[in-house]
Amino acid sequence: MEKKNLSILFILIGLTLVMALLDVFNLEIGNYLTSMVMGIAAVKFLLVAFAFMDLRKAHFFWKFATVLIGLLIVLVVGFWV
Amino acid sequence: MEVKVQAIDHRDIFYPPGGILLWLIIILELITFGLGIAGLVYYGRIEPEVFHQSRLQLNSFIGTVNTMVLLISGYFMANTIVKHKSGDIIATRKYLKWTILGGMLFVGLKCYEYVEKLTGNLELEDNMFFTFYWLMTGFHLAHVLVGLVILSFSWWHLKTNPSSVQGADLESGAAFWHMCDLIWLFLFPSLYLIF
Repeated sequence: MEKKNLSILFILIGLTLVMALLDVFNLEIGNYLTSMVMGIAAVKFLLVAFAFMDLRKAHFFWKFATVLIGLLIVLVVGFWV
Repeated sequence: MEVKVQAIDHRDIFYPPGGILLWLIIILELITFGLGIAGLVYYGRIEPEVFHQSRLQLNSFIGTVNTMVLLISGYFMANTIVKHKSGDIIATRKYLKWTILGGMLFVGLKCYEYVEKLTGNLELEDNMFFTFYWLMTGFHLAHVLVGLVILSFSWWHLKTNPSSVQGADLESGAAFWHMCDLIWLFLFPSLYLIF
């Protein structure tokens, strides 16, 4: 369990670095890159919720509510900016 | 040192990991911050150049480091629960201590960033971007501070009277702490990267 959590942590940190690199190299953040950044944020959100918060063990209602809110935020930011 | 841990069926809709009241709070907080982010995006579309110039004045390096600090702290919190379930109180206390230290580091870096902004005269009423920046990061920081108080309280009880700390109580603290993670995971790209 601890090893699994550690693997997830490395994935999360890797994804954070990918997001930061987009800024460090001053890439022009166009619409598709905004969607990409928010997509990465969504993956991180789901990893923390399902792995660290043990949401995978919870009733479907809580999984659905959390995923729905996360996806709505990603869609609003990713496709509206 | 070992304590017996009572098992809870989290598949039951009324017993999500951390408790139903805390999950109602989590859902409401996510909706609230989600609406805040939607407001940020709405005003960003009205004043794209102001938002772009304002975003460039934020320290994205500290933002990135703070994201990693919070994620590492969340990892320690997840391990705290694993160790408590296995009945290993010494390891539980150790992981909880590192979780709290991670939270304190986050607060320290956030305060440094705030001082940097205030000395640069970047205040709440400068423009809509900074209004959202101060309000959303400020409310998030308040949640982190509340989380630190809850976790410190649990740590103290684990140290003085381990049998008084129930698994459900610790899971509630953990769920609150991870909620701070979840909110920050959307605040970071919304404020520091996309405009």
